[in-house]
Amino acid sequence: MSQLQEEREIILGNENVDSFDFDEVREFVKGADENLFISHHFAKKEKMLVQPRGGFPTYEKQFALYEFFVDANVDVLPLTIDSNTRLNDYTTAKKMLRLSEANEVDMLNGYPLVNHGYRNTRKMMTHFNHPVSLRHGTPDARLLIEIAIASGIFEIEGGPITYLLPYSKNFPLDKAFLYWKYVERVCADYSTLNRPINRESFGPLTATLVPPSITIVIQLLEMLLSLEEGVKSFSVSFSQQGSMVQDIVTGTVTRKLADHYAAQIGCEDAIINLVYHQWMGAFPTNRDSADQLINMSTVIASMVGADKIITKTREEAVGIPTKEANAKTVANTQYTLRILSGLPAIVDEQEEEILTAEVHAIMEAVFNDPADTLWRKVFNSIKNGIIDVPFSPHIINHNKMITIRDAQKNIRIIERGNVPIPDRCYAYEKSCCDLNKDTTSIVNDIIRDIGIMQ
Amino acid sequence: MIAWLQSTLNMKVVTGVIGNDIHVVANRLMDLSLNARGYEVFNLGVNTYLEEFFDAAVETGAEILLISSLNGEAEGWAREVKQLRAKYKSLDQLIMMIGGNLTVGSGNAKDIVPRYKNYGFDLVCHQVDLNTGLDMLEDYIKEYVPPQENPSS
Repeated sequence: MSQLQEEREIILGNENVDSFDFDEVREFVKGADENLFISHHFAKKEKMLVQPRGGFPTYEKQFALYEFFVDANVDVLPLTIDSNTRLNDYTTAKKMLRLSEANEVDMLNGYPLVNHGYRNTRKMMTHFNHPVSLRHGTPDARLLIEIAIASGIFEIEGGPITYLLPYSKNFPLDKAFLYWKYVERVCADYSTLNRPINRESFGPLTATLVPPSITIVIQLLEMLLSLEEGVKSFSVSFSQQGSMVQDIVTGTVTRKLADHYAAQIGCEDAIINLVYHQWMGAFPTNRDSADQLINMSTVIASMVGADKIITKTREEAVGIPTKEANAKTVANTQYTLRILSGLPAIVDEQEEEILTAEVHAIMEAVFNDPADTLWRKVFNSIKNGIIDVPFSPHIINHNKMITIRDAQKNIRIIERGNVPIPDRCYAYEKSCCDLNKDTTSIVNDIIRDIGIMQ
Repeated sequence: MIAWLQSTLNMKVVTGVIGNDIHVVANRLMDLSLNARGYEVFNLGVNTYLEEFFDAAVETGAEILLISSLNGEAEGWAREVKQLRAKYKSLDQLIMMIGGNLTVGSGNAKDIVPRYKNYGFDLVCHQVDLNTGLDMLEDYIKEYVPPQENPSS
C-alpha cells in the first residue's frame, strides 16, 4: 500500500465518517457524468461561467437553494461549508446540524458536509447534474475534500496560503502546506479516472488594498504547488480591485505568467483558467447601489476575459443572503453577460511591464531561497517578508508593506517592507501618489480607500 | 513633574482586538496611527484574551492599554477587567482605553460609555472614528494625574 493510501485510510477512519468505501468511490468518479466536472465546461469555452455563493445547514434547504439557482440559469453551483467543519470541529457541527433540523432556525453558516456524508450528498449532486465548487476556508481540508469528491464535487477551492493568511491568527503555516499537499495528491489521483478535478486558488486574500503583484505571486505559487503534485486543471483568481485598468492589466499578466511558470516546471499540458470575483471589499448597505456595483463587476469581468465569475448579492452588507437574493444576482449577471458585446480590447503596456517586472522579481527571490522544496521556499519567503499580505491577521505575516490608491483608484505600494519590488517599479508606484502629507492624513486616505465602494 | 506625561513621545501602548474576533483592518491602522503619533506600539493583533493584554502590559512596562472590538464581544470580557487587573501588582497606573463597536446588535454611546467606565476603563469610544479617539487619548494624557503609589510597594 502506498504511503498516501495509508494516510487516507487513517483520515477516513474518522469517527464521523460512516464506512468510506474507496473502491466504490473510484468507480463512481470513473463513471460520473461529464456535466459534473467544471473542467469539462471550461474546455467547451461556450461562455463565462457564473457561480454564486451559498450554503445552508440542512439537506432540504441546500436542495431548495439549488432549485432556485437552476431556475436562475446557474452554470456552477457552490457548496459553502460551515465554520465548525472548517476548523475540523465535526462534533459541534453535528450538534448544530441536529438543532437546525429540529427547529426553523439555522445554527450553522454553511453545509456540514462531513456530517451529512457522501452517500446522501451525492444524491443531491447527481440530481442537479451541475458542476459544484467546494468553498470552505479550511487549513486542514484532508477529510473534507475526500468526502467532497466522493459526493460528486469536482472543484476544490483553496490553498495553503490563500486559506490561511486572510483567516487565521496562528494556525501553523508549515502544517497547512503539508495538509494541502495531501489535497493536491488526492485530486491528482482522481483526475486520472475521468475529466480532471479542478483546483482553484483564492485570489481575493484579505480583499483590502492587496497590490496585484502580491496577488499574482501567491496565485502562481499555489498553482505550482498544485501542478507539481500532478493536478491538471487549475484556476487562478483575483477580485475586483477598484480600478478597471488595473483589473485588466492584472488579468493579462496573470494569464501570461501562469503559462510561463507552468511551462518552466514542464506542466504545459495543464489547463489554467482565470476566475474573477465581484467586489469582495466593504459593500454598500444600500441594496440598489449594491446591484449597480455587481453589474459593473460583471462588465469588468468581461473586459478581463475571465473564464468564471463569482457573484455577490445586494444583501452582502446586511448578512447571509436569502436564496431569492442570491438567485436574482445569478439571473442579473447572466443577463448582463448575454447583452454585452463589442467590448474594446484595452492594453496598457507600461502598467503591464511594471507589474510583470515586480512579479518576476518576487518569484525569483522565492526560488532563490536555499530550501530544497518549493513549499519550504514559499514558507520561508512568507516568514521573512518577501511575500507580505496587507491586512493579514496571521502572526507570521510581516505587515510592513503599506498600500494606498492613486487618483485613478489603482492600488499602489508606498512602503515595500521586505518585498523585493525593483527600485524603478517602486519609484513609479510612489510617483503615482501624493505623499507630501503627514501620516495621520495618509491613514485617513487609507480608510477612505478601503471604503471606496460604500 | 512626571516627564512622560507631558508628551506622548516614547509612551508605550499595548493594543489588540479582544476575544475571538478576527477583524484586523482597524487594528493595523491603529498601529500605523499610534506610531505616527510617537508612541511605541506593542500590537498583539486579533483574537487576544484579556489576560494576554495584562501580561503584555507588565512585560513591556506600557503606560497605556488600548483594547478594541468589532464584533461586540468586548462586553462579555469587560466584566472581568477589575477582578483580573487586581491580581497584577504593577498595573495601578495603567491608562485603560477601549474602542470600536462595543455592543452586539445596536446600542447608543449614552448607555454604553458609563457601563464600560464602571468596568474599569478610563476612556471609552463607541463607534468613534480613529483619529478622534486618539485625540481624546492625547487630551486625557495631558490632564492625567496618576493615582498615588502604594507606599508599601
